[in-house]
Amino acid sequence: MGEYFIVVLLDDHRMAKIRGTGLEENIKYMFGGELRLLEVPVNEELKDKILQEFDTARVDSRGAITDVPVAFMRELFNQIVEKKSLGPEVVEAVLQKVDEIKEAAAKESEYLPPPEID
Amino acid sequence: MSRFLIQRPLPHGGRLVERVITDKEAAKKMIKGCPSYDIKPTLHYETGVPVRNVYREIMSICYGFFSPVEGSMKQAEVERILKERRLLNEWIFPYPLVFDISEEDYKKLGVGAGDRLVLNLKGKPFAILDIEEVWRIDNPEELAHLTFGTPERNPEVVKEPFNKKHPGWVIYRSLQPVVLAGKYTIINEPKLRPPFDRFWYPPRKSREEFDRRGWRTVINHQTRNVPHVGHEFLMKCAAFTGDVEPCHGILVNAVIGVKRRGDYPDEAIVEGHEAVNKGGYIKPERHLPTIVLWDMRYGNPLESLLHGIIRQNMGCTHHMFGRDHAAVGEYYDKWATQILWTKGIPSFGFPAPPTDVPYGLDIRPQNMREFSYCPTCKEMAYSETCGHKREKLSGSFLRGMVAEGVQPPSIIMRPEVYKVIVKWWKHFGYPFCNEKYVVNKEKELEVDLEDL
Ligand SMILES: [Zn+2]
Repeated sequence: MGEYFIVVLLDDHRMAKIRGTGLEENIKYMFGGELRLLEVPVNEELKDKILQEFDTARVDSRGAITDVPVAFMRELFNQIVEKKSLGPEVVEAVLQKVDEIKEAAAKESEYLPPPEID
Repeated sequence: MSRFLIQRPLPHGGRLVERVITDKEAAKKMIKGCPSYDIKPTLHYETGVPVRNVYREIMSICYGFFSPVEGSMKQAEVERILKERRLLNEWIFPYPLVFDISEEDYKKLGVGAGDRLVLNLKGKPFAILDIEEVWRIDNPEELAHLTFGTPERNPEVVKEPFNKKHPGWVIYRSLQPVVLAGKYTIINEPKLRPPFDRFWYPPRKSREEFDRRGWRTVINHQTRNVPHVGHEFLMKCAAFTGDVEPCHGILVNAVIGVKRRGDYPDEAIVEGHEAVNKGGYIKPERHLPTIVLWDMRYGNPLESLLHGIIRQNMGCTHHMFGRDHAAVGEYYDKWATQILWTKGIPSFGFPAPPTDVPYGLDIRPQNMREFSYCPTCKEMAYSETCGHKREKLSGSFLRGMVAEGVQPPSIIMRPEVYKVIVKWWKHFGYPFCNEKYVVNKEKELEVDLEDL
């Protein structure tokens, strides 16, 4: 376990994708159990890489890495589901797509895809 | 009748200012042969980005939100405001309000005192300005500093010198040099664009609406935000003030004007507040979301004074104020508004609170801290009464959640409110104000005009 982590929020849509991955037991709760989240541990080396690649990224007083692009967070969740894991290979896989994420992040200041709710 | 009952206050200045001509034929006669001028946005003195549109001030003055102000101020009036925050007729008022134009435009117009100038908006006649005086702003930077205060002159509340990072300071710094002073009259009533039209309750109409609903006591909630549950609890718990019973009504009054990137869109703000009552979280019979047109100056205690004036004019008996009220950055003490309303700020002309000086206000301040979720109490708890560690909800945490497309749990944000955010997100392609929104808004404004 590293000293750093990234909080991945889980709404109903994301919960449905988590079901059956074996990650359910890692889910943490806030707001009387209404907010579900996963904490993805990040080691020193990966933390430095993230800060280096994304200049908005910060580490808060709890050691949480915040203010990374939305595209990063979306890809992080996709990788968690795909790899059914919270291990370092997840963040590594996200960082392998760094160019794609940066391209999306550049557009994020003007466009963000809306969620699909009715 | 109990002597404890609180009655609705008169408008600031004693009577509502209403300067709107609704008879089109009369209006046509009034402007016959008069020179005209197309209203231009005030552009940032360095970047050229729109930072203010004087049309919003003309609307708020002529419909009585800023009673007893009637127009663009004369030099002596601006000087008095900067010295002691009073109009020439003695009533307290926080900010200079002027109709400013460039030297080139002034030369081209060739108008002077005694002339009537027709002001066009979006290519249509909108209002008239009956010029009583022409004066010049020699030093807009000094005007900006005097408007907001300095650490030397106002040591009670000003912590840092103002600069170009402060959007209100930038507005005054960016004013054009020639001021045409005189009364405004709207001669062609603009139509508010949807969704703003159904939130348009100028003071006469809001007072009539309070009568219709039987509201004697009304507490105002100032907003520039989409409401989360913390706001909802502030509103309904602050309403327990009142007199012999809680306030009859909660008036939400959203300040609608020039936006900054990252703000929520105004459309989502007004419909978000409406969703709170449509969802029943606050009964619609007790809750009324409304708007006022104003390019926020972020003057913390001074802004709170303007807020008190606007909401007293609308008929409110109480006004909620929080920490860092209408503030940006750390220019003012974060409790500057509470200092003003509980003991006064002598250097701003208030040796006592604005409710305790001659020609002051009658609206009552209700200073509130904050609500957040307490996992021990298992409810939204008030910071000053709950003794546990609460799960604080920061605006940036919530914004991060929204940006990621994750629906906040209903203990943080009601699903009806979130749906409104997503509705306008789909419309604008972005959940917050991006550059396109900011630029477009200043082009389209909040109104449309017909031919006169
Ligand atoms: Zn508690």
